[in-house]
Amino acid sequence: MLVGRQSKNILSSVTNTNIKRCLGTAPEDSGHAQFVYNRNPRNLEKLRIAYKPAGYHLEKPGREFWHKLQVTTSKRHVTASVLHHTGVVPVMATTAEWAVRKQLFSTLDKMAYITIGKVLAQRCLECGISDMINTYEVLPNSKLEALLENLLKGGIRLEEDPRYKSPNPWDQERPEKPWEHY
Amino acid sequence: MSFSVTCLLKKQNRLLTAISVRHRSQRRNLGKPPGIAKTLEERMEEMNFKDPKIHFKVDIGLPTPQRDKKMETAKRIEFIKKIKCNAELEKLSRNNELPVSLDEISNDWSKTNAPLHIKKVAEYYGIFEHLFGDAYFTPYVQMDISYDYNSKKVPVYRGNIIKPNEALYSPKVNFEAPEKTLWTLMLTNPDGHLHKENSEYIHWLVGNIPGGDVNRGETVFNYLQPFPAKGTGYQRMIFVLYKQSSEIDFSSIKSVSEKIDLANRTFSTFDFYCSHEDIMTPAGLAFYQTDWDNSLTKFYHDQLSMPEPVYEYDFQPPYIKPQKWFPLKEPFNLYMDKYRDEKQIAKEFLMRKLRKTHPFQKPEPPLKYPNAVPFKKTTPSWLKLEMKKERLRWGRVNDY
Repeated sequence: MLVGRQSKNILSSVTNTNIKRCLGTAPEDSGHAQFVYNRNPRNLEKLRIAYKPAGYHLEKPGREFWHKLQVTTSKRHVTASVLHHTGVVPVMATTAEWAVRKQLFSTLDKMAYITIGKVLAQRCLECGISDMINTYEVLPNSKLEALLENLLKGGIRLEEDPRYKSPNPWDQERPEKPWEHY
Repeated sequence: MSFSVTCLLKKQNRLLTAISVRHRSQRRNLGKPPGIAKTLEERMEEMNFKDPKIHFKVDIGLPTPQRDKKMETAKRIEFIKKIKCNAELEKLSRNNELPVSLDEISNDWSKTNAPLHIKKVAEYYGIFEHLFGDAYFTPYVQMDISYDYNSKKVPVYRGNIIKPNEALYSPKVNFEAPEKTLWTLMLTNPDGHLHKENSEYIHWLVGNIPGGDVNRGETVFNYLQPFPAKGTGYQRMIFVLYKQSSEIDFSSIKSVSEKIDLANRTFSTFDFYCSHEDIMTPAGLAFYQTDWDNSLTKFYHDQLSMPEPVYEYDFQPPYIKPQKWFPLKEPFNLYMDKYRDEKQIAKEFLMRKLRKTHPFQKPEPPLKYPNAVPFKKTTPSWLKLEMKKERLRWGRVNDY
C-alpha cells in the first residue's frame, strides 16, 4: 500500500540551535499532502533527531545534552532545576517555595534534598521531560546522593540517548530508528 | 673552471646558513588572538540580538490577583517559628523520616507558584508563539483535567504524554469559578494539520460555560480524539480557558454533527481570539503531547474514511562533491555508485534479493562463518569485497 515513500526534498530551514520542523513525505496518489509540518519544538528531541551542541572534546563536563540536571545550594536553600542547552530552565524545584518549605523542618538538611528530588521528578514527568544528564560526582551517603536516588525513584532517567544521525547509503551500519518502536 | 664552481656553491651555502631565520608558522588564518577576538557566545548573542523596541510581547491575560503580602509573610513567619520549636519534627527530620506529602505540595503549589511555572513551560513548548503570535498570558486559573481510560484517571498537566487510545472520549474538566461568570474552553492542535502549514485543528470548543460546569456550556465543536499521523512524532494538544465578560454568539462557526469534517475544523486561535478580543481574556492553560499508536489505523479508515497517512522525517541528503574525470585513489565501483541513480541501485539490490528467494521454500539460513566461505580464484578483488559485504550484511544490503 504505502510503500514507495522516497522523494528527496531538501530540508529548507535548519537553524543551528533548534530544528523546528518535522517534515514528512508520502505518495502523491493517496490524496495526502506531501509534507506535514510539526511545529512542536520538543518533537525532534523526543525522536532523538534534534541537534545537540558538541562542545570541545577535552572539555569536562561536556556540553552534549538536551537536558541537564543542575543543583545549586545557597546559604539558605537548595534548588534543583533542569537546564536546556539553549539556556532555558523549564522546570525547577526549590525549598524557597512556600509549598515545599511548609512541610520541612530545615531547608538544608538531608530531608530537604530528598523532598526536592521527589518534587523535581514529579514536575519533570508532568512537563514531559523524562531523560536528563547528570554531571555531578557524588560521595556515598551524601545529601546529593539522596537527591539523585529520589529522582531515579520518581521515574527520571539520569542519562540521555545519543542523537540519531541518518546513515549515508554507503555506510556500513544502519542504526535503529528510535521512532519505529512504539 | 670546475674549481670556481664548487667555490661558489660553498660560498652560497655559507650565506644561506648565516641568513636562516626562525621559522614562522604558516597558519595565518586563525583570526584575532583570544583576548581581542569575540567568543562564540558573544558572537551568537550579537547574531541573535532582537531589538526590544520591535520584538516585544504583549500581556493579554488577567491581571495579577491581589493578595495581602504583609499578612501572608507574617503568617508564614509564625508558621515557621512553630515548626522550629517542634522537637518531634526535628527528631523525625534528623532521622530522615519526615512525612512529606507530595499531593499537598502540588496542591499548595497550584495556589502559589503554579501560574508562573506553567507560563515558563508553555514558553518552552512554544505555545504562546504558535497560538497568539506576539502575545502571552499568565494562567491564573488552574484547570483539573483528566481522561477516563479503563476506569483509571489520565490527568493532563503541561506536556505529559498521553496516547490517542487513552483520549477517545472528552475529558472531565474542573475549575473553580464563581456562579455568575461565563467561560470558553478550547482544545486545539497546532502541529497536526494534514494539508496546511501553520494551521490548527480545533478538537473541542465549548462556549458560554456558566460557573465552571462544562456540561452546561454550549458545544460549538464536538470533541474529536487526537489523531497524529504515523511518523510525524509528538504533537501538542492544548487546552485554553477564556473568561468571558458577556455572552458570545457562536452560531457563525458552530458545527455540531456526528460526521467529522476536517476542512471545517481548520482553525486559527489567533483569528478566533482577535474576533472576540473585547469579550474574552485567556485565563487557564494545560496541554499534553501525543503520538501515533495502532488504534489510529481504524480511526482513519472508519471515521475519517481515508487511507492512513504514513510520514517519515525528511533528512538532508549527504553532500556529494562534483564528479571528476580522473579521480585519484578512489575505488572505482564505490566512486561511480555515488553518482548513479539511487533508484537504479535499489532496483539492482532488490532484483538480486528476489532472485534468491523462492516463493514456496524456506529462506536460506544465514551463513555460520561468512568470512570462511572461499571465493573463486578468478574473482577480482573489488567483487570479493562486494560479496563479503553481502555475506556480512554490511551497507546497502540492509536497505532492501
